[in-house]
Amino acid sequence: MIRIHVAGLAATVQDAGRPGHLRSGVPEAGPADPFAFAAALALAGLPADAAAIEIVGLPFTFSCDDRRIVAVTGREVTLRGHAALPAWTAVLARPGQELTVRGTSRSRFAYLAVSGGIDLPPVLGSRATHLASATGPLPRALVAGDALPLAGGQGDPATGGTTIAAPGRDGPPRAIRTIEGPHAARFGGAATRAFFGEAFRVAAASDRMGVRLDGPDVAADEGELLTCGVVAGAVQVPRGGAPIVLLADHQTTGGYPVIATVIAADLGRVAQAAPGEELRFARVTCDEAVAALAEERRSLGAVRCAVR
Amino acid sequence: MTIVPFGERALLVEFGDRIDDSLAARACAIADAWEALGHGPAVPAYASVVLRFDPFALDPAEAERLARALLAGAGPASAAGSAGAAARSRTIEIPTVYDGPDLAAVAEASSLTVAGLVALHASRPYTAYFLGFLPGFAYCGPLDPRIVAPRLARPRARVPAGSVAVAAGQTAVYPFDSPGGWRLIGRTRARLYDPAADPPALLRAGDLVRFVPVR
Repeated sequence: MIRIHVAGLAATVQDAGRPGHLRSGVPEAGPADPFAFAAALALAGLPADAAAIEIVGLPFTFSCDDRRIVAVTGREVTLRGHAALPAWTAVLARPGQELTVRGTSRSRFAYLAVSGGIDLPPVLGSRATHLASATGPLPRALVAGDALPLAGGQGDPATGGTTIAAPGRDGPPRAIRTIEGPHAARFGGAATRAFFGEAFRVAAASDRMGVRLDGPDVAADEGELLTCGVVAGAVQVPRGGAPIVLLADHQTTGGYPVIATVIAADLGRVAQAAPGEELRFARVTCDEAVAALAEERRSLGAVRCAVR
Repeated sequence: MTIVPFGERALLVEFGDRIDDSLAARACAIADAWEALGHGPAVPAYASVVLRFDPFALDPAEAERLARALLAGAGPASAAGSAGAAARSRTIEIPTVYDGPDLAAVAEASSLTVAGLVALHASRPYTAYFLGFLPGFAYCGPLDPRIVAPRLARPRARVPAGSVAVAAGQTAVYPFDSPGGWRLIGRTRARLYDPAADPPALLRAGDLVRFVPVR
């Protein structure tokens, strides 16, 4: 069991997501920052389809009944036992040892993976939680006092200390890479220049559905669009001209024109942007987007080899 | 018809700009054919489909070639497609209490009595075009053109679950409490979404939906 002592604001059980019921209108859910989540799984020696905890609102305090390898990832997060332990690193947790995930005012989504993995039965093919529709094996936010079953596999203590770089998260700010959106032709030159040339500020109303941005008006010339399917990373522009970048809990369909789509490798950087921070957008090709994702996969693969 | 990238892991196929039974049926047929290839899920809508894939398993350029080949095969309203759709379609009845907060206003805007509006809304089966917006929310239509119901200029912050609504030539049931801009004419106790069921939605694209007045 993993026991939750301090639960944060909206911690949920997540796995890689639930893409099997989009046609019933069920959002995919899964982690808001897919790379940070995948890195936590890899460090804890877990396969890519395992379940772990997404934490919103730190601190978060837990303990495990038996010895486990744990890994915490996220933005500006640390793990504390008696001493500070690094994030983005496999850590050996002793039986009953209380550990606390801490962050800063800029921390948004933190991930806690525990060797063995959260052992709950899949619902509709996934252990991901979609809070709004109460879908998932534990369809609510975690509360203090919760105890979740862990699967066998305590992890190899020798893998403690394995680490992974948090790419592009600690260096100087870099533009968010996007591919031209499916409705790019609906946007005039001024809107397109403003979108790629100016900075946008992350609004406080951002959540797991999407990151809302304030900045120059980048509304499309033609406002009305026949509703169509949408994907995570889509930058929708409602009539008011303020863009929204869709995240894990986004609706399966949308009626607003999409000016650009954030590449998969930069989705986590958008999700982790704190209210008030600025984001800029750049254009890349599809090949560059796939290459950036391949780079992430290589670093996850290297961790998997190291902890095997 | 256009096929454009929607990020590096999806394509958006668009083939129309209106709400129409045959376009929505074609979207479903394309989505079925794509999912049968096993590269990833598809999301059909009124006149478009999003086709998803893993760019490491299927090169994006190859995905586009596959999509073109598939569209050439799934011609508009092909006989086989129509027969398949007819065989799959079910009729789902939604018992409805017609007492919504917008019932009188919609009747008045439509130059109908309330009883006349109820009779008109319940008189025909609607096609479920696709699901989206919320889990279990099916966009259904077409409404009788005599029913005049533009979307609300200021959407409600909270529409109660089970509300039967009309807007812009369409009708639907809200599965959850949610914000909403459609006009509310009734309510149902039918459960539109149940995560313990598989599939979790009561309705699926292509179903015929009938609203049955109850007290």
